[in-house]
Amino acid sequence: MLSYKEIELDFKNTLDKTSNLLNLQSLEIKYLGRNGIINRLLKKIKEIPIEERKIYGQRVNELKIGIRKLIEIKKLEISKKKPEKFFDTTLPGKTYPKGSLHIVSYAIEEISKIFEKIGFIRVSYPEVDWEYYAFESLNMPKGHPARDDFETSYLDFPEDKKLGRMVLTPHTSNGQNREMRRVKKPPIRMINISKCYRPNWDATHTPMFFQFEGLCVDKNITVANLKGTLDYFAEKYFGAGTKTRLRPHHFQFTEPSFEVDVTCTICKGKGTVGTGRDLSVRKCKVCKSGWLELGGTGMVHPNVLKEGEINPSEFTGWAFGFGIERVIMMKYGLDDIRNYYTGDIRFLEQF
Amino acid sequence: MNIKITHNWLLEYLDTDATPNEIREYLSLCGPSIESVTKVNGDYVYDIEVISNRIDYTSVIGIAREVAAILPMFGKKAKFKGFSAKLTSGHPRGVESVESVETELKIIDNDNLCPRKLAVVMEVKVGQSPKYIRERLENCGIRSLNNLIDITNYVMLETGHPAHVFDFDRVKTGKIFIRKAKNGEKITTLDGKTYILNSQDVIFEDGTGRIIDLPGIMGLKNSVVTEKTKRVIFWIETNDAKAIRKTSMRLGIRTVAAAINEKNPDSEAAKMTFEKGIELYHKIARGKIISPLYDTDPKEKPKKIIKTDYKTFDRLIGIKLDRKKISEILGNLGFEIASSSSTPRNDVIASEAKQSLKVFVPSWREHDISIPEDLVEEVARIYGYNNIPSHLQPPAYVEQPKDMEDLFVFQNRIKTFLKHLGLNEVINYSMISLQLIEVFDLDPKKHLRLANSISEDVEYLRISLLPSIYKNIEENKGRKDVLRFFEIGKVYIPVGTGRDLSLPQEIYKLGIATNTDYFDLKGIVEALYRELNVGTIHELSLPKIIEQNDVFMTEIDLQTLIDNYHQVPKYRPINPYAVIKLDKTFVLSPQSTYAVIRERASQSKLLLKIEVVSVYENKLSLRFCYSSFSRNITEEEAKKELAKV
Repeated sequence: MLSYKEIELDFKNTLDKTSNLLNLQSLEIKYLGRNGIINRLLKKIKEIPIEERKIYGQRVNELKIGIRKLIEIKKLEISKKKPEKFFDTTLPGKTYPKGSLHIVSYAIEEISKIFEKIGFIRVSYPEVDWEYYAFESLNMPKGHPARDDFETSYLDFPEDKKLGRMVLTPHTSNGQNREMRRVKKPPIRMINISKCYRPNWDATHTPMFFQFEGLCVDKNITVANLKGTLDYFAEKYFGAGTKTRLRPHHFQFTEPSFEVDVTCTICKGKGTVGTGRDLSVRKCKVCKSGWLELGGTGMVHPNVLKEGEINPSEFTGWAFGFGIERVIMMKYGLDDIRNYYTGDIRFLEQF
Repeated sequence: MNIKITHNWLLEYLDTDATPNEIREYLSLCGPSIESVTKVNGDYVYDIEVISNRIDYTSVIGIAREVAAILPMFGKKAKFKGFSAKLTSGHPRGVESVESVETELKIIDNDNLCPRKLAVVMEVKVGQSPKYIRERLENCGIRSLNNLIDITNYVMLETGHPAHVFDFDRVKTGKIFIRKAKNGEKITTLDGKTYILNSQDVIFEDGTGRIIDLPGIMGLKNSVVTEKTKRVIFWIETNDAKAIRKTSMRLGIRTVAAAINEKNPDSEAAKMTFEKGIELYHKIARGKIISPLYDTDPKEKPKKIIKTDYKTFDRLIGIKLDRKKISEILGNLGFEIASSSSTPRNDVIASEAKQSLKVFVPSWREHDISIPEDLVEEVARIYGYNNIPSHLQPPAYVEQPKDMEDLFVFQNRIKTFLKHLGLNEVINYSMISLQLIEVFDLDPKKHLRLANSISEDVEYLRISLLPSIYKNIEENKGRKDVLRFFEIGKVYIPVGTGRDLSLPQEIYKLGIATNTDYFDLKGIVEALYRELNVGTIHELSLPKIIEQNDVFMTEIDLQTLIDNYHQVPKYRPINPYAVIKLDKTFVLSPQSTYAVIRERASQSKLLLKIEVVSVYENKLSLRFCYSSFSRNITEEEAKKELAKV
């Protein structure tokens, strides 16, 4: 006959191997059933000497309680493991609304923050302005081609004797003179982001567009500072490693004047993309030469400083004016400008 | 504008060991931007961008001068050979003498409309140009016609100054009378098109009233050379650049000559062009001079002088450039420098930077160089912008005006909130059409109108955002079932046109439009008010919601939201006492609206808040929450309060 210890060990071994309810049931019957091991043990009590019967009975009972408890625990374990209903966790979650901002809004925010970090304040100046602020104050005298009425939008409004006709600002540079007069004495650290207008409407032009204008006037501001600022902006906006270069150009309100290029964000300035599976190297379709034109910049023309009542022999400065749509195009390759301002939901909801 | 010249042509004026690709690369960095180099049967064609102040770039000679100044900085050999045709004792090289003076030309210009006129009559033989001229012209994008006309184009591309040729016999009178046109006078240009002139246009006539030329822009049909031409007037004049531009733009005649003449080409180049042209007529059209050589202003003009000092260069560029380098660069570009020696010798170093410089400007730069900063640009670009260091300016604090800051901060906050509610932001043109104004029953007279709008879709400056966002919903019909748009932008309210003219008021507005229903839009506005804590301290009424064609719209003044904004709403301590909630259903009617019920319920000092439980047809179920901040109230007390409603 087996000892209690052996019976208990046997049971535990079998229980450990049991993993479904059916086997557990037969295990329960084997031990606790009417003709189960426990009952058979109890029946044998008659064969036990009288003085030992009490202890024997207690031990068998303890064994019985222990086995029942372990079976109950196992039952719970098995039932937890197996959910009754199928629960598909791959289904999508509850739908929450997702709106969108205009792609231009994101760019404005990003650009403002980049310049805010180096102490440039964003300003707000009129979009409808006098010719004086749009042209004369920027060293663009009467008769300058940019003032032709196929280059600038004029309003049907009486002309001011001093300030000229009313225009829709063709650039953000009208803010230059206004900021100089507001601040009165340098330093000036301005970023002016605004809608601009020109009478041009085709595949690559819209009659309204956005520009951002930087203006920095102080003692000892140099071309080296302009380069530093452009490099800083290019790295922050287009990504680390982006380089800039200046090329000669001409603008009325700066001298010297430059055009700025940045290394192409697609080919990283190499001018080529590849290699393909056949080891071919192709010309980059976006830039063709490794560089993309960003826009115009230069050192503030002394006449512009004078018009802003700033002494050009004491102060110097730099300025730039870049297109928001252009930098978006360069950064994301989003070049269909005609969709920007037509309010097509299929365009808008993508951002 | 862009211009094309060829490499072989360039080599006639340039000694260099640089390849066409090197020339492209180095010029683009330091001078004119060369957009492409294309190999064309044994030659290379440069496509060059001519910036508006550098009209001297429109020529082989102009580019050769630039190459000669730029390439040595890159360690390349490049030397400008100079110009070879010279009028020796009044005759071009190779033309020994005026063969016979059998004709004379009378030039009358009483108002000096064309400051310098150069002319000669020649006997010629019309025919095809030699191969090299035809090829070069075609490569540069100019059609070869016959030798007489080709020469004018060829010399223009070579020297940068336009030239013209008349059939002497078709001018008939031998007279060129320069005057302003009369209003309504008609001309037919050599391409057969007719134009009506006005009194600002300059024309040539033959003295009988018959107009024979639209100078500086295009020749006329009645005086142009033909296959039968025997005698020509080879003619060059200088023009008033502004007048050329006005006429050319108004008539829409955009020839290369006009594009050059409207930008003040070098008047000294006129003479070079004249000499080169005569030489070519002699060489390829068997030209014989049969009149005196006319030059109405032969005196060489004194050179423009710019006074500056070395310090000016350092101050703007940001590094101290070697003085010799500055002189060398300016010299290579054709400037001459005379430095004054007025400073005492014992103070050489301190005074060197301030030593005044007199810089003489070459004739071809007369119109674009006028201040010391212009010279700084010349030196810096040839020195190489990539050789100038790059570092941020020292920081400086400038205070941003609070009103400006608020405008941007709030726009951004509102935009982001509405986006998270699920709305889509639009940006519309600030201009709208008359039709849209009328759809909204607005008064066109209260709008500013563009005088030169390119489309009637963008003719009026909007005074409300609603027409634009209404249009957005309409145009997106069928693209998506539920549409919720918002826009933050300016409206432009004209200010009286009285004695003191003023710019319009530019006011930022928030416009919201949906195609859902009234309460959807109202809920959006209420949510925004809660987000900004607007109306939590002082009641701010909700904006009017209007409906048109099942589109629900509203417009809010951005400044009003800013003025009523609270970062933190009014703080209330947590109420430790019980809240009794009671529900009651009302029948809605014009006399008994939610607002009326709320107003009546608010009379109770114990009322905490009212919630809408449900609205079914005209039955409104409300939940009233009663509590006191000083004690526990009983349900009986609450019921008593509710009974008053």
